[in-house]
Amino acid sequence: MLANVFTKTIRDRWLGMFIGAVTLGLLLLMGMAAYKSIDLSIYDSMPAGFRNLMSIPAGASLGALAYGAIYTSYGALTLAAIAIPMGTGAIAGEERNGTIGLLLGNPVSRISAVAQKAAAILVVTAFGAVVLWLAGIGAPAALGETVTGITLVALCFAMFVNSLFYGFLAMAISTWTGKRGIGAGVSTGVLIVGFIGAGLFPIIPGWENVAKVFPWYYYASSKPQTNGIDWWHMSVLIIGIVLLVAIALIGVTRRDLRSQSVGVTIMDRLRANPRTAKIVERLVGSAQVSGIWMKSVSEHQGLLIVTVYVMLIMSLVIGPLYNVITGPVKEFGASLPPTLLALFGGGNLSTPEGFYQIEIFGMMAPAGVMIATIAAGSRALAGEEQNRTMGLLLSNPVSRSSVVMRKTVAMVVEGIAVGVSIFIGVWLGSIIGRLGMSAGNIAAASLLATLLGLAIGALALALSAATGRVRVAVYGAIGVALVSHVLNAFLPLNASTEGLTKWTPFGYYLNSDPLANGMDWWHGLVLLVLTVVLVGLSVVWFQNRDLKQKG
Amino acid sequence: MTDQIAIHTDGLTKHFGDVHALVDLDLDVFAGEVFGYLGPNGAGKTTTIRLLMDEIRPTKGSATILGEDVREKSVDLRKYIGYVPGDLAMYPNLTGRDTITYFSNLRGGVDWSYVDQLADRLDADLTKKVGDLSSGNRQKVGIIQAFMNRPTVLVMDEPSSGLDPLVQREFQQMMREVAADGGTVFLSSHTLSEVQRVADRVGIIRHGKIIALEAVATLRAKGLRRVELEFAEPVAASDFSGIDGVRDLVIQNHHAVMSYEGRIGTLLHAASRNHTLVDMSTQEADLEEIFLTYYHDEENH
Repeated sequence: MLANVFTKTIRDRWLGMFIGAVTLGLLLLMGMAAYKSIDLSIYDSMPAGFRNLMSIPAGASLGALAYGAIYTSYGALTLAAIAIPMGTGAIAGEERNGTIGLLLGNPVSRISAVAQKAAAILVVTAFGAVVLWLAGIGAPAALGETVTGITLVALCFAMFVNSLFYGFLAMAISTWTGKRGIGAGVSTGVLIVGFIGAGLFPIIPGWENVAKVFPWYYYASSKPQTNGIDWWHMSVLIIGIVLLVAIALIGVTRRDLRSQSVGVTIMDRLRANPRTAKIVERLVGSAQVSGIWMKSVSEHQGLLIVTVYVMLIMSLVIGPLYNVITGPVKEFGASLPPTLLALFGGGNLSTPEGFYQIEIFGMMAPAGVMIATIAAGSRALAGEEQNRTMGLLLSNPVSRSSVVMRKTVAMVVEGIAVGVSIFIGVWLGSIIGRLGMSAGNIAAASLLATLLGLAIGALALALSAATGRVRVAVYGAIGVALVSHVLNAFLPLNASTEGLTKWTPFGYYLNSDPLANGMDWWHGLVLLVLTVVLVGLSVVWFQNRDLKQKG
Repeated sequence: MTDQIAIHTDGLTKHFGDVHALVDLDLDVFAGEVFGYLGPNGAGKTTTIRLLMDEIRPTKGSATILGEDVREKSVDLRKYIGYVPGDLAMYPNLTGRDTITYFSNLRGGVDWSYVDQLADRLDADLTKKVGDLSSGNRQKVGIIQAFMNRPTVLVMDEPSSGLDPLVQREFQQMMREVAADGGTVFLSSHTLSEVQRVADRVGIIRHGKIIALEAVATLRAKGLRRVELEFAEPVAASDFSGIDGVRDLVIQNHHAVMSYEGRIGTLLHAASRNHTLVDMSTQEADLEEIFLTYYHDEENH
């Protein structure tokens, strides 16, 4: 597997994709098992527009529902989320690791290196899609069910092309700039905003066409799982992919390669300017190195600022938008059974709270907090070890437990910052849209979302403390969050498994419906205790193992 | 050097799975000395240092610094220790001054005039981001942060890598000053010439075991010499095979070059028995030759 750049990249990347795809396959199996126990006729009574929103075909069968719920959204998001780091790592990752010079010291041109990396990303993503396809065949067979009305191959192909688009978007940006962070941030932003926009705008009269600006629209709107491949839509994504590869190829030839250098930021320029130096120095210069937790927060300031900004704006605009949703959609929302609404995080379109639950609190709010807390938790210890700075840090008179605690403070501060931005956004959105939502209930939902994010971030911290490996911490925490979210949606579909939601962290966030009912302190306490236990385990695990020389 | 022990290890052992990185290390390093820790790649030098710094934990055995257990009192001890890790990495987004500020905050402050003095001596630029510095200039920042609190014990793993010769000389002077003030320098190095110049004693480690522990002066006093003999006619290796103390023999037609440990008269007598000796030159072996000779012996045993 070390024959060339292409095979080495596949060697480095296939396992993450395999684990992701297998996890989704297992979720599909679980989803199908849950749907077996419920009366499916409810779906036939839905208006077509609403079924579209949920990716459910008319005359829905067991398979259609499970594929619609698991593969089209979770599956495609996960596959794209795995493709993005492959794209950012292609050239910018080699630059960050200081290995690009060594690689290109061999008779490999820059263009050849990018082309081989791109080919490897394509093959690994295709591999993930094939695993999903095999799982899609295997799941109903294992349950003895027959699936009708589903074009599984088309769905998997569409997921493959969609994921490739985001992977290559990340590659194009980070190869052009040499910065992984920019590539990851922009492509993740395009993915999340597109996912929301492509689902939201089609239900707002007069704004339907706005959805077409989002790449996600060209994957999801044609419903490949039931309608087969829409080649016009696919060709938009494929043309985009070709252009992005071209941008990466041009980008890598046009600039100086970076050798672990960090470049000059706006803050650096302001610090160097005599007129602004004093104030900037006070704000970021000495402040950022005043202690371990401040420094940790400052390391994530880019990600944190973007996340806070996106969550604030998204939470804010949802309020006024509620008023333009048509009446029939709202009325129908009121008639849906609670078990079905659990798939949306318990939301109900007939009330502003329900609308916010669907659009923000169901998935985006906890995801936003988790972006900050998982990044902070996973890199807290393992990141320093991976960067080989932990030894130097611990050569100062600070104990390992103290390092864990101060890094935890950084994670908590970051999680709270995102939580507060969600609260302010929703609260302002409610005021601007004259929705009359309770500020206390908004605070309760934001607080529970923050506590959930902190619990998952603490899990990332614990995995980071136990293994010293960033990837294990990131993927482990995301995996638990994803499985927990899906379990919490599906377990209530069956009366015999409904009680099991108390074993999922998401259950303690969503199930008390805090936007409607206010704060459930018991649930908040459970999440808090979970966080404290995981931080305690982090201290124990980190204190009792050898530091890694290279994570 | 005094007889006060600064660093002590007792049967210090570290296994990584089946790899025995360090085996039963018994070592005393004294206050007021620079101790050179020599060995090839993978010998166990970095493992020893990481055990002393409590980065990794021993499979068995123990170590103390300034009389305190490095595991139990690790945090307290670090107030008195300056450390330069091997393959030094720092925070690329921070300038040198930010880096020093950060570590000084963790240590409760620093004398900035001393930091500036160290920066002057090493010709270090603290205004640039660490990520934008060359490896040598990055190393200077690492050395400054190790010296800045006037440590009692300095533990350094290959600290000179990347430094230019002039800066290396200044750095060696700084190490000597620490020892002269009663401090201790534990210096792991490949650079034998540096150890020869700066160290009072050396420990040579191979395959996780100490194979020699000597004062530099004692090593030199072993009498190992580099000898070159020129004869009137071609000579063969067999002509020298029976002579005790001859090592690393190289025959080049009329010339024989070797390392020799013993009385020079004995060598000359034996060598001129069958051949006419035309010329000879001899010089004291440097540490590198002594070092290689030890390894050569170890490999043969």
